[in-house]
Amino acid sequence: MLRMQNLSKVYRTHMIETHALRGFDIHVQQGEFVTVTGPSGSGKTSFLNIAGLLEEFTDGEYILDGVNVRGMDDNARSRLRNEKLGFIFQGFNLIPDLSLFDNVDVPLRYRGFNRAERKERIEDALAKVGLASRMKHYPAELSGGQQQRVAIARALAGSPKLLLADEPTGNLDTQMARGVMELLEEINAQGTTILMVTHDPELALRSQRNVHIIDGQVSDLVQHGATLSARPQHAATV
Amino acid sequence: MFRYYFTLGLRSLRRNRALTALMVLTLAVGVAASVSTVTILHAMSGDPLPHKSDRLFVPMIDVVPLKSYVPGAKPTFGQAQLAYIDANNFMASNMGVRRTVMYGVAGPVEPARTDIGAFQAQGLAPTRDFFAMFEVPFLYGQPWSEADDASGADVIVLSRSLAEKLLGTVNPVGRRVTVLGQPYLVSGVLDHWDPVPRIHRIIGSKGAFGTEDEFFIPFASAIRHETRHDGGMACSGVERGPGFQGTLTSDCTWLQFWFEMESAGQRGELQAYLDSYAAEQRKLGRMPRHAPNALYNVKEWMVFLNVVDNDNKLAAWLAFGFLLLCLVNTIGLLLAKFSVRASEVGIRRALGATRRDIFRQFLTETAVIGLAGGVLGLLLAYAALAVVRSQSKELGTVAHMDIPMLLLTFAVSVLAALLAGLLPTWRACQVTPAIQLKSQ
Repeated sequence: MLRMQNLSKVYRTHMIETHALRGFDIHVQQGEFVTVTGPSGSGKTSFLNIAGLLEEFTDGEYILDGVNVRGMDDNARSRLRNEKLGFIFQGFNLIPDLSLFDNVDVPLRYRGFNRAERKERIEDALAKVGLASRMKHYPAELSGGQQQRVAIARALAGSPKLLLADEPTGNLDTQMARGVMELLEEINAQGTTILMVTHDPELALRSQRNVHIIDGQVSDLVQHGATLSARPQHAATV
Repeated sequence: MFRYYFTLGLRSLRRNRALTALMVLTLAVGVAASVSTVTILHAMSGDPLPHKSDRLFVPMIDVVPLKSYVPGAKPTFGQAQLAYIDANNFMASNMGVRRTVMYGVAGPVEPARTDIGAFQAQGLAPTRDFFAMFEVPFLYGQPWSEADDASGADVIVLSRSLAEKLLGTVNPVGRRVTVLGQPYLVSGVLDHWDPVPRIHRIIGSKGAFGTEDEFFIPFASAIRHETRHDGGMACSGVERGPGFQGTLTSDCTWLQFWFEMESAGQRGELQAYLDSYAAEQRKLGRMPRHAPNALYNVKEWMVFLNVVDNDNKLAAWLAFGFLLLCLVNTIGLLLAKFSVRASEVGIRRALGATRRDIFRQFLTETAVIGLAGGVLGLLLAYAALAVVRSQSKELGTVAHMDIPMLLLTFAVSVLAALLAGLLPTWRACQVTPAIQLKSQ
């Protein structure tokens, strides 16, 4: 589903070069639920942004669902992002002056679906997250957990192959976080690949596989209770 | 997608209402100022006979004495009219399909009705061709005949308002009215006729934007009755005998003349006639200046007589300068409005919008602001024109908005908004989604 090989990301200013990722290798299979952990500044967000085609990488190779994204122009990257990826953010990132229906509608508009198909997909997605009855409500009228559910519905509506989640429970209390996590597990069980960045070791344990990043490199790869490798050079592929 | 963007644009008007109102108002004021001045300029420089204005010509010959003449100097007002001798000669020529000579007259009108007293009225003394040449509409009757022109018969054509004032709304053709102290037989009544500008009367007491003449009598009749000329006359340095007859035989210029040619291409033919006529007159000892003879079609005539003067043009430039100022302000306001939307741009980009999608969405939004500015600008322009009408009777005839100007208002407003929106929209497109999404 997602393969990065020897990937690097360097941020340059006039004075300083910062290596956010270096020699970064990862391979995520179709249908996996992978969590990404690591301390602040380790490169988790850079990895997620590059995986989500929101940022370009400096060197290396990135294959997304069989498509080599290196050198793609803005239009092609946007199209690929729209068709294959779904995003869930820590801050929900809903558009405040659009209703839930219209928020979920946003990616479908750019996909070019007709009105009837959009309506069907929006209703299905909101029904999946248990908010079918609140379609006309606005984000400010919902709790944090409910807003995150809407974000999940928006990510799901376009039937993405890969769901990228950046601390999706970071702004939620324990109960709401549990509910969101259960929803993500359900979605994964239905075949959607999930790549989730988290600080929470408990959540990391619930995934099929955890990738730990330190200093822009993969440090550990843990698969449900068993450490697969903990190599000092950290360039690991599974 | 345009409909989607348009709907988002409408919704966006409700966001930051104060900022939106300020933008709409700024645009509206700029648009109203420029459109109202352009409306006046447009009406002033309008062509009331667009289908034939290139084949209507005013002849210009210089019969003024040699004194203080500077060769090559721009023709003066004195040359813009003709002496009686030349006007008569031109009338007798066979040039063009129609010819008319005219001068302004004014005097008392004595109603037969006892409920109103005598009053002053302004009129024109042209020849019969005048009505067909300037396509004057008739409500009743018709112009007088060629025979009336030849004999100087006492016949009259009344304006609709004068006819109704004197004789009510019945058809007055065949009845007599007393004008300028003479009884005249009514041959026709005009329907509403309000050409702007009045190209046939740019030189005259009411000017290009005055109200229409109230009555028309044959030129020959006015001459026969020695009806006093009401308007400008150039006689400087000219020898003139006493009385009306002295004026007729002098080189004083006071008559206006128009030729209507079959086509604009016959201009050369008319010019040749004019040159040949001037050469003949020089042999008779007239036209000592040897100045070039000229022909002016309607548009050239309006330019020559400064129908749209420099003050009007300056006013239009100032108004557009003001619009530019409003645009710069709108750019600032749009930058402020769009800068708080960076997170939305980030979200949309993450969900699959291309930079082009964002550009279209935000530009459509500025167009919606432009439309709102256009609606308000139109109301303000109407109000401004109403104020202009109340201030000046002359400007009142031109301070009216027609359909093309109405459409222009919206076009200017939307275009101005789009221009103002280019920079803010471009900047919105440059938003880095990753940063915005993380910073939310």
